[in-house]
Parts: sequence; C-alpha cells; structure tokens
Amino acid sequence: MSDFNTGTDLVPLARREGDAIIARVEGEIDLHNSPELRSALLQLLQGGPAKKLILNVSGVPYMDSSAIAVLVEALQKMRKFGGKLYLTGLQPRVRGLLEIARLDTIFVLKKDEQEALQAPV
Amino acid sequence: MADETSLKLRTTSDPANLAPTRHRIEAFCAHQQMNPEACDLIGLCVNEAMANVHRHAYGGADDQPIEVLAERVQRGVRVSIRDWGNGHTPATLPDVKIDPLRPGGLGLICLKQYMDVVQFSPQPDGMLLIIEKDRT
Repeated sequence: MSDFNTGTDLVPLARREGDAIIARVEGEIDLHNSPELRSALLQLLQGGPAKKLILNVSGVPYMDSSAIAVLVEALQKMRKFGGKLYLTGLQPRVRGLLEIARLDTIFVLKKDEQEALQAPV
Repeated sequence: MADETSLKLRTTSDPANLAPTRHRIEAFCAHQQMNPEACDLIGLCVNEAMANVHRHAYGGADDQPIEVLAERVQRGVRVSIRDWGNGHTPATLPDVKIDPLRPGGLGLICLKQYMDVVQFSPQPDGMLLIIEKDRT
C-alpha cells in the first residue's frame, strides 16, 4: 500500500492498494474548485494503470455539473486501461444529480470502500 | 433578512461567488418554508445558471455583473438571474435524454427537470432568466 499527496484539501487522502487507487474526496465541488479536483484525479491516474479508481465521496454534500464532467473524464481514462470508477458513500443530493445525468448507469456505486475493493472488476 | 419576501444579490461572474450565492438562496428558500429538497434544487439550478452565464454569456470572464433576485411568490419561490452578456438564448431546452458520457448541457437539463417555470427573456443588453419552484 502506498499513499499519495495530491496537494489539495479536496482530496486529502489517497492510496494505492494492489490494482486499486482509493481516494477520499471532501467538500462542496462547483465550477470554482472542480479544476482542482481534475488536477488531483489526473495526478492519481498518472501513477500507473489501475483497474479500479475508488472515490469515497461520503464527505461531498454537493457537486455541480462541472464536477460531474471531471468524474466522466476520469472514468474515460480508466476505461482506456480496462478499469472502472467506483463511487462510495454517496450523499442523497449528489446521488440525485448522478441519476439525472444517468451516471448511475456508468459508474459503479458502492456503499463503502471495502465493498468497492471486494467487487469484481 | 431585512425584507423577508425578497433577496437581491449583486455579484460577479467569478466562480468563487457560486457557493456563497447558492448558500444565501438556499437559506432564503428555507425561510420561505420551501422543503429542504426544493431548497437544494433551487440552489443547484441557480448555481448552474450562474455557471452558464460565466461560461457562455461572458465567455469565461470573472469580473462581469450578475444580479440574482429571489422572491416569494404565491406558489413558491421565483429566482431571476440577470446578466449583461451576449444575450444568446439556448435555442431549445435539451431533452432529458442525455448521453452520460457527454455531460455538456447538464445545467439546462437540471433547470428543465427540477424547476416548474424556466423562462429565458432576451434583453437589449443581455439576458434575464426566470425560474420558479412550487412549494408542493
């Protein structure tokens, strides 16, 4: 297991476990700070191909469409390696936005990090 | 809130203003006895409308004016978002059918899906967007 420093409070904790990158995302995310989230996720993915990118978003009470666009970009990068993007701990407001964008059909939604780690790729 | 049935905010197109504006609008809606989900949805739609003003009406400029007026109306809350940008109206509000891998236009889809009234009124010097959410 190795830890990453993304340099942003939006992603205060990130680590690699085997073929999975696990990151905790925190705070409200809108057009003001979504570029910061994008940089952090791209930095994590530069660490080498992974089969799973697991984002624990239990600390994200709000995100807007710019944050959604960042998640979709990360998903598309994961798919290039045959990987998947998992979201865990979704708060209701964030889940609602994912549903309206139909992203609940392309991300893998799990209760927590452990469940995402144990899920088959 | 000095005038309890309306709230006028003069701000700019800097995305740093999205969160404080959203929070104040949500608090106003709560003060008008809108349910928590409706407050959240109005906050989201104001956020998306302002982000679209920043991106499209002002071409990404951070220092241009935006006025947001929230008012209590008989059926719920009305929010007017005025800008002095290029005045382009989205030709039609997009259908709710969207490709999840191409999330562009999601802000407009949120407006259509979540608000009871969405009205773009081109002005001689910009745009006035009016959205309304009913209490029920």
